[in-house]
Amino acid sequence: MSANDSPLWEFVNISKAYPGVLANDKVCIRLMPGSIHGLLGENGCGKSTMIKTLSGVQQPDSGQILHKGQEVRIADPDDARRRGVATVFQEFSIVPTLSVGENIFLGNMPRNRLGLIDWKTVNDASARVLKKLDIELSPETITGTLSVGEQQLVEIAKAVAMDAEMVILDEPTAALGEHEIEQLHVLLRKMRAQGTSILYVSHRLDEVERIVDEVTILRSGKVVRESGETEINVSEIVAAMVGEDVSEHYPKENNSVDAVVFECQNLRTRSGVNGASFDLRKGEVLGLGGVLGSGRTEIAHAIFGVDKLTDGALLLNGKNIEIKNEMQAINAGFALVPENRKYDGLFFNFRASGNITAAALPRIARRGFLDLAAEAKGTERLMNELEISPQAEKKTVNFLSGGNQQKVVIARWLFSEANILIFDEPTQGIDIGAKIAVYKLMNALTRAGKSIILISSDHDELLAMSDRIAVVQHGHINRVVGAGELSHDDLVRASSHDDAGEARPATATARIQTNSNESLAAEAIQ
Amino acid sequence: MRRVFDSQLIGPFAAMLIVALIVALTTDRFLNPGNLSNLSLQVSIVALIAIGSSIVIFAAGIDLSAGSMVALLTMIFAQMLKFAGIPIFVALPAILLVGALLGFGLGIITAYGRIPSFITTLAALIAFRGLALTFNNGSPIFSLDPALETVFYGRLFGLPLPFFYLVFFYAMAAIVMNFSKLGREIYAVGGNPAAAVLTGINVKKVQAITFAIAGFMTAVGAILMSARLNSGSPNYGQTLELQAIAAAVVGGASLAGGRGNVLATLMGAMTIVIVQNGLNLNAAPSSVQNVVLGLIILLAVGIDMWRAEISRFLSRLRGGATKSAR
Repeated sequence: MSANDSPLWEFVNISKAYPGVLANDKVCIRLMPGSIHGLLGENGCGKSTMIKTLSGVQQPDSGQILHKGQEVRIADPDDARRRGVATVFQEFSIVPTLSVGENIFLGNMPRNRLGLIDWKTVNDASARVLKKLDIELSPETITGTLSVGEQQLVEIAKAVAMDAEMVILDEPTAALGEHEIEQLHVLLRKMRAQGTSILYVSHRLDEVERIVDEVTILRSGKVVRESGETEINVSEIVAAMVGEDVSEHYPKENNSVDAVVFECQNLRTRSGVNGASFDLRKGEVLGLGGVLGSGRTEIAHAIFGVDKLTDGALLLNGKNIEIKNEMQAINAGFALVPENRKYDGLFFNFRASGNITAAALPRIARRGFLDLAAEAKGTERLMNELEISPQAEKKTVNFLSGGNQQKVVIARWLFSEANILIFDEPTQGIDIGAKIAVYKLMNALTRAGKSIILISSDHDELLAMSDRIAVVQHGHINRVVGAGELSHDDLVRASSHDDAGEARPATATARIQTNSNESLAAEAIQ
Repeated sequence: MRRVFDSQLIGPFAAMLIVALIVALTTDRFLNPGNLSNLSLQVSIVALIAIGSSIVIFAAGIDLSAGSMVALLTMIFAQMLKFAGIPIFVALPAILLVGALLGFGLGIITAYGRIPSFITTLAALIAFRGLALTFNNGSPIFSLDPALETVFYGRLFGLPLPFFYLVFFYAMAAIVMNFSKLGREIYAVGGNPAAAVLTGINVKKVQAITFAIAGFMTAVGAILMSARLNSGSPNYGQTLELQAIAAAVVGGASLAGGRGNVLATLMGAMTIVIVQNGLNLNAAPSSVQNVVLGLIILLAVGIDMWRAEISRFLSRLRGGATKSAR
């Protein structure tokens, strides 16, 4: 960390109101060079507003912005860029059809004397940037062919290439696996050492704990904890964010009974499922652990009829079943809460009701016509049960917070009365309060005798909420073990690219995670 | 989506009233009963075809084939009545069936052949016009059947028959889109096809059905076209597909799919026809009419896109007004 104690950027009493909300209320924050600053808070607390102000997307209503002690006005995003602020937004600004090099220099292409793009410089300079960051990618690769994690690294390389002094990362790890996150953290530490100031926004508190130097916590537009005030540990952060002491971060119930309801035998697909076998018990949460691209989502797709099986069998309650498409999967009682609720989950042209009943239209249809009264009643019941904002039925669902949106997607499968629910990254990008609500919902489901297949890149969540964990590697399930027998480190090692870890047996002597019920808060205190 | 008369109707309805008011101020002939009844005849063909175009658009497709299909169907219809000696009560349902099948074919190619509907129906726009020319050496066929004219010019309770077709088909469309499983699936497919697949909706089938509906409604329009002029011609229906799409867009349908109200399309069609009628009554040349139609489409989409800015502007006006009142 730098000994330099004059801030690079400073917000003094910044306020910003939108119609009906005071999004930022006299926010003060100091961003130091050579430091990673965590900006935390639940959805709607005003984080995005702050980021938008700092990146020049909007102007504050009042307050001062100081750059190296001088008051400035950030007129627009271009102005922010000129002042060395690079923002990596949650939604990628990568152009998938262009090469890595082109993306790195997008909007800033080196030209030769004829005014044409100087490809040699583009490729050489981006190769240099990539090398500096230890990213093993060719500048000429088409970006769309890369994994999401690699695209994220390209995005950061873009910020580095413009010599940004200040890099804002908005949920940079939302779509990344453990290995990619590690890679990203190495990169951030390197940038920190080079004197870059980094503003880091994330919902993944475990990771915040690992990487940030100081935190600022916002609640309802106000700073509730300034940097330096809060020690960086998860339980304190959670308490400050939610405004109350959350004792049970992972309120896991064990509802698994010894009866197999569903079994996969030697599943294979062209999309990369490579002889996957496992069984699922009644009331169980079976976690699928593994890195991004290990084939977890593909296994889910194979079960749900999205990808065709080339081999293998599915047994439901001991009987062979055939699932050729999504409709058959749903009729057989399966549900899929997809990884990306925005692209694969929600109908943004519908209110909550249309979203909730979408997978079970035959249930509310009589001779082709919908029983709208039954729809309204069923929807209302689920909205109450899941504590979905009543706003969800007044407007289309694009106005809802991520947490409410995810609840709507889950409610869809309660309405369809599914018995086996596949949750693919169910808490990605939602705030801590909504996460806990999702966990409690998982408990309620398993208590009712339903079974859950949980896919999560958040290892703490996976360990805490699963009864057993199947470790997936290259589309194959290496082993299935009780979640309590596995530690965070085991999981990282077992599912990492390092194949040596594969042979390593799970032993009780590994760093002890006493049991999967252990709350993270308790762990943090140790 | 669940309410037939929802807020999506207010804008198009207001637009229609404003346009009617302006036209009524420029010419006193607008409001005389003869003109109003003429108006419902004028709007009927494009408004009926626009039902199909809208439903295709709701499912995030586009149908450019309607105008050419009208020409082709009037020629087939004329051929049946004039040369094949097929009685009218057989020819009528036959044409409706042919239209639905042609549309379904386009839908199958689009959905299962994975060819964008813009391309499929653009190809059909060109090919159907060509096919229409293969009948009767490419010449129009006149004087089909005296009974045919009643289909268009007939009256019931003093009102022109096309008025009743409009009421019937729009009521049907509104019921299907708002209360049926199919209607819900159409909006779902248009709103988010990927999510629709994952909720077990047969997206391809739904897409194909929307084109079959469009083909059927185009056939209804073709029959009225034949009846109006008691003839068939390979030149009928030029730019009709664009007018129908314009009606949907002026009615607030999103070309991205998923959003729109079929009754608003009727308002859109009426708005367009009232403007044309107003220009006619004021003796404006047809060149001007097309320019005005173009501007209306831009304005309608613009108002939708700039909604946030407009409401901010209005609230500032209101705020200013209260300040000055103080």
